[in-house]
Amino acid sequence: MPLFDGLRLALREISAHKLRSFFTLLGIIVSVAFLVAVVAVIQGMNAYVRENLAGAIVGKNAFQIRRTPISVGFIDDEEYRELQRRPIIRAEEVEFVRRAIPDAQAIALQSGWPTPLADVTWRNRTVGDVAVFGVTAPYQMVQDYEMAAGEALIDLDIDDRRRVAVLGFDVADKLFDEIDLAIGRKIRVRGQEVVVKGVTAKKGTVLGQSWDGFVMLPITLFETTYGRRHTTVISVKMPEAYQVASAMERAEEAMRVARRLRPGQPNTFTIDTAEGLISFWKSLTRIIFTVVPAVVAIGVIVGGIVIMNIMLMSVTERTREIGIRKSVGASRADIQRQFLMESICLATMGGLLGILAGWGLAEVVAILSPLPSRVTLWSVALALGLGIGVGVLFGVYPARRAARLDPIVALRFE
Amino acid sequence: MAEQPLISLRGLTREYRMDAETVYALRGIELAIGTNEYVAIMGPSGSGKSTLMNVIGCLDTPTRGEYWLNGTEVSRMSDDELARVRNREIGFVFQTFNLLPRATALHNVELPLIYAGTSARERRRAASRALERVGLADRMHHRPNELSGGQRQRVAIARALVNDPSILLADEPTGNLDSVTSQEIMAVFGELHTQGQTVLMVTHEADIAAHAHRVVTLLDGVVHSDSVREAA
Ligand SMILES: Nc1ncnc2c1ncn2[C@@H]1O[C@H](COP(=O)(O)OP(=O)(O)O)[C@@H](O)[C@H]1O
Ligand SMILES: [Mg+2]
Repeated sequence: MPLFDGLRLALREISAHKLRSFFTLLGIIVSVAFLVAVVAVIQGMNAYVRENLAGAIVGKNAFQIRRTPISVGFIDDEEYRELQRRPIIRAEEVEFVRRAIPDAQAIALQSGWPTPLADVTWRNRTVGDVAVFGVTAPYQMVQDYEMAAGEALIDLDIDDRRRVAVLGFDVADKLFDEIDLAIGRKIRVRGQEVVVKGVTAKKGTVLGQSWDGFVMLPITLFETTYGRRHTTVISVKMPEAYQVASAMERAEEAMRVARRLRPGQPNTFTIDTAEGLISFWKSLTRIIFTVVPAVVAIGVIVGGIVIMNIMLMSVTERTREIGIRKSVGASRADIQRQFLMESICLATMGGLLGILAGWGLAEVVAILSPLPSRVTLWSVALALGLGIGVGVLFGVYPARRAARLDPIVALRFE
Repeated sequence: MAEQPLISLRGLTREYRMDAETVYALRGIELAIGTNEYVAIMGPSGSGKSTLMNVIGCLDTPTRGEYWLNGTEVSRMSDDELARVRNREIGFVFQTFNLLPRATALHNVELPLIYAGTSARERRRAASRALERVGLADRMHHRPNELSGGQRQRVAIARALVNDPSILLADEPTGNLDSVTSQEIMAVFGELHTQGQTVLMVTHEADIAAHAHRVVTLLDGVVHSDSVREAA
């Protein structure tokens, strides 16, 4: 039988039992939808982490000189003790780095994570849980802050330990009726009085978390309240991405000189880019990617068994039809192809419906939650391949059963 | 060398092995049928008429003996070769019509041609012509449940004819029809025979067998009598 006739026959048979076909395919649809949706969300997060989160934390074309690495992966006790013995990053070390990287766009010292949270008040208004950063002036360039009102911190503010602050947009927005009204006001940060010098432009949200809920203080002022923190870091921003790698090498050398490390002695600091963060994220998604296929595989196998059962039922129901077809000259191969085509069409439809459902699910997730999603071609291709594969694998047995029917027995079947 | 018969059966035997016993449906049939013959097969119930038709129709294979069709030995053929013979050489009409219930008359008649790999256009042309030959030109797009018994059997006959078979086999084709309709169907077979079609038909009833020119009687799986009648 020509392929086209076979295909038409299969589709007609499927559409003759629409509801049954649909329920037959439920297993495949659900598993494929799950696959497509999970992959879409993870891929979306991947892109998001790379494009937004990493840049937001470390800064564009930037790297950090830190006491401990950014990545939050598992470390053993030995490593942990070694990290604990490392000295704190000191302001004086900034000078060493600056001399080694004269082409840097900005080199900043900043208080690190975890950021202390504080109430910020103006007259009778209070904004709670505001992140307090202590920074040097170049930090604002590392983070590409733009000012919505007022002015940025300058070196003198830090050197003279002035009692000034730059507010994140959200904080200013909540405290004052208008952003411009914030400038020059005396606010209290954890009880300390400071004068608002500027308000940064909105940076938006990352993973649903506002990136504008902070108050920036000169690091010298910050340290009078919070002390010298163990997590202080130096940030270096290069004009272009390609300069980052060489600058990191020079920074390492400069730090070793600053700390008088002999050749062979390990670094007592870490130089990290957002890559560290991204690789942590990747190791997390790798775990998810090993769990998902197992879940999908189980779903697809169950779905395949359902298809096989329905096809066996269909073969029995259509025994007489098979007899009629054989009596007019259908060969075993013709009959086998007919039923195989049907199960492949069924399973492929299941795959397609699953892709649509998964796509829809991914969109819903993207709309209802801060998780972004991005449907990828390979997951769609994989889903389709799965559908066809299941159709073949679980269609062969019923199709062979149909093909082997004796024509006379089949014709007599009631 | 004498002209070969269309069908030649030699010592044709068909046994059914049940668990303990063996049923002998055919026990050494000797029969030759020539082109353009119209043969009626008679005999009491259980005498092996259907079994014989099924073997000749390549739906069944003999346990022993030889079956030659058009000079080739069918009795040694594989499953797929038999399917090919059914498709090209045989037209089979059943007592119970055996039409696909959800397909139109036209599609039912096209069925053998689908498996012959005929193009859709040619299929449609041949099927319409076959339906015209049995007088159903105006019922092509009806489904079996929209047709009377006689019309269904005409569709089945058209399907048997569509591949231009060497032999038209019919196993009690009027068994499910009333006597008036039976006469109509017999007229169709008579007409086809007049046009040159070889016909082999099983029937119970003598008046139906009277349409044929030769009557073969089976008894207990062997040929009991074989008589050629004077042309009517
Ligand atoms: N599939 C079968 N299994 C066992 N016995 C069979 C089978 N088909 C036919 N027979 C037996 O073979 C004999 C001939 O049957 P059949 O050819 O149908 O007779 P008829 O058509 O003349 O009534 C009967 O005894 C019947 O019971
Ligand atoms: Mg019979």
